[in-house]
Amino acid sequence: MKYFFYILCIALVLGCQNSSKETTKIEAKQLGYSVKHAKGFSIEVYKDFAIIEVEKPWPNSNKNYRYLVQYTSTHDQVKGNFDAIISAPISSYILSSTTHIPSAESLGILDNLVGFPNTDFISSKEARKRINKDYITDIGQNQQLNTELVLNLKPDVFVGFSVDGANKAYSVFEKAGIPIIYNGDWVESTPLGKAEWIKFFGALFNKNKLAQQKFEAIEDAYYKTKQLETSAKKKPKVISGSLYNDKWYLPNGTSWQAQFIKDAHADYIYKDTSGSGSLALAFESVLNKASEADIWISPGSYTSYEAMLNDQPHYKKFKAFSTKTVYSVAQQKGETGGVLFYELAPNRPDLVLKDLVKIFHPELLPNYNLHFFSPLQ
Amino acid sequence: MQTSKSILLLSLCFVALLLLSLSLGSVYIPFTEVLKALSFQSLDNETWQYIIQNYRLPKTVTSILVGGALSLCGLLMQTLFRNPLAGPYVLGLSSGASLGVALVVLGSSSLGFGLSAEISERWIIVLASSLGSFLVMLSILATAKRLKDTMALLIIGLMFSSITSAIVNVLSFFSSSDELQKYIFWSLGSLGNLSWSEIGLLSICCGLGILLSIILIKPLNALLMGEHYATSLGINIKQTRLLVITATCLMAGAITAFAGPIAFIGLAVPHLTRQLVKTTNHIILVPSVVLFGASLLLLCDSIAELPFSELSLPINAVTSIIGAPVVIWLLVKQKYIRF
Repeated sequence: MKYFFYILCIALVLGCQNSSKETTKIEAKQLGYSVKHAKGFSIEVYKDFAIIEVEKPWPNSNKNYRYLVQYTSTHDQVKGNFDAIISAPISSYILSSTTHIPSAESLGILDNLVGFPNTDFISSKEARKRINKDYITDIGQNQQLNTELVLNLKPDVFVGFSVDGANKAYSVFEKAGIPIIYNGDWVESTPLGKAEWIKFFGALFNKNKLAQQKFEAIEDAYYKTKQLETSAKKKPKVISGSLYNDKWYLPNGTSWQAQFIKDAHADYIYKDTSGSGSLALAFESVLNKASEADIWISPGSYTSYEAMLNDQPHYKKFKAFSTKTVYSVAQQKGETGGVLFYELAPNRPDLVLKDLVKIFHPELLPNYNLHFFSPLQ
Repeated sequence: MQTSKSILLLSLCFVALLLLSLSLGSVYIPFTEVLKALSFQSLDNETWQYIIQNYRLPKTVTSILVGGALSLCGLLMQTLFRNPLAGPYVLGLSSGASLGVALVVLGSSSLGFGLSAEISERWIIVLASSLGSFLVMLSILATAKRLKDTMALLIIGLMFSSITSAIVNVLSFFSSSDELQKYIFWSLGSLGNLSWSEIGLLSICCGLGILLSIILIKPLNALLMGEHYATSLGINIKQTRLLVITATCLMAGAITAFAGPIAFIGLAVPHLTRQLVKTTNHIILVPSVVLFGASLLLLCDSIAELPFSELSLPINAVTSIIGAPVVIWLLVKQKYIRF
């Protein structure tokens, strides 16, 4: 009992010593930034820091990744376990997918981008200028990153992506003190969900307000375009994809592309299919089902009717081919051959939807010029 | 008696599988309509007519040519090398073709050239594949002329395969995912989508190969006893060797160019046929192997099409998955290999 009393006294003294230590106050009131459409991440933004939680960096991932971004230098740790802690401002960073480039550009942070795998795929004019001046280093290919180049660049953060969570190079970078942050924009299945990943970059670079404004403008334009469908007179039947060998590859009915067709008030022939990735269907079933489709979008990498026919004489059996209503994104390319659509479309669904409304219902947008799509030559 | 029964059985199977292959597909078309379309009467449903005449019929003819000729190549190689493991690609032909295709499909990333949109991609692949096989064939023929030992050719063929697959690996390492996907799809083989002119070319190559094989029946039978025995019968070994290689290269090269490297059939069918006709005499074996191979590939193609479903499988997946267990079962049942 006597010993217990002494121990209690010592504990009290030590406790008082701890509580009398001065602390730096961290602003712990959440600012009103949140995620509405995206399913793969969430953000908690405070005045001095932000917590980004990436819930679905790749399909079937079973781990949530939590990242802490500190906006002010503070010695206090925010409570919780984090997969990476990043101190803003970020003076140098690496991106790994062309879909990240438009967000960086519209948030005005391209100047700090120091590395990118396979820079030839980048179409953005601003980014290309910086590549041509050697400000952005080509760090190899996504599955075969040049580890030495990345270690030498020693970025403050590496925004990576993974198809299955297995990327050996990333663990080497982490050991070398380079924080890896997973971006899962490509897993997102809705047009606005993909575009909302701009807020991920907003939270990372302390550009929350700007990201919010940019996204709201895109969201607003998307809904306004979608509203136009109420005055559409018809609902054209649409087919997509193309033959390779004797299989027809096309987007499934729950995909991002299928959502666009639906929102543009058209009838995608394979709207009732589901799955992950594209469908590979037998040619005869596609011919049987889709030969009478009115419009054909995204027929692979073809840019002319002649090229299509040279490759597959079967194409002539499709109504959309004979009525010359085939539209492709393959013709809008960047300086080094990267297809603009793959880079910018996830970030600008409003433009994709406008393009499709213009193609399906030209009378609704008489003065609009197509941005990504163009009729085949 | 046993042999003639077997050949009759094979012929009946062939006809049945031919009709099966033409009637089964993702789209259900009644058998009466199939027969009408085949006799070139017009159907009420124009799409059905197109599917049968312009898709299923060319695919069926391709299956017959590919299955028959590849099996014959396998037989020729097994007899020439007196090795039950030899197949049509043992000389490195498919490796040469793969290298040709890899250079044009994967080359754009790593070598700065590749497919251009102006020329049809299919023809570029066919040309690249033919050129690859042809160069390997020339090297093999040049080597065959200088070598006394047939077994050394087998080793050289394997070496060719190693070299080419190493180069393909390096090219793959530097390729984009789209290019890799294209190359892998090519390597999975495809029997559909050949135009009649392509089938015409393929038929000429296979026809010449079959003709050469028929001419070679006597020397092939002599080779079964070994090269010394064949020489004592007055067979010109070097000439026979060159003609066998030429026939194989013609058939296997053309098939790889138009349909990709079709797996398994060439290696397994000669064994299955020997077990069925119970002879090693090439007078019986040559026609039987062609019939058996054609029938087996027709069956594999019907399965690959996954009848009445919109999906379908690559032909190579089916040939090996279905074929290999059958061969294992047969050999275990027979307890020994007839060779």
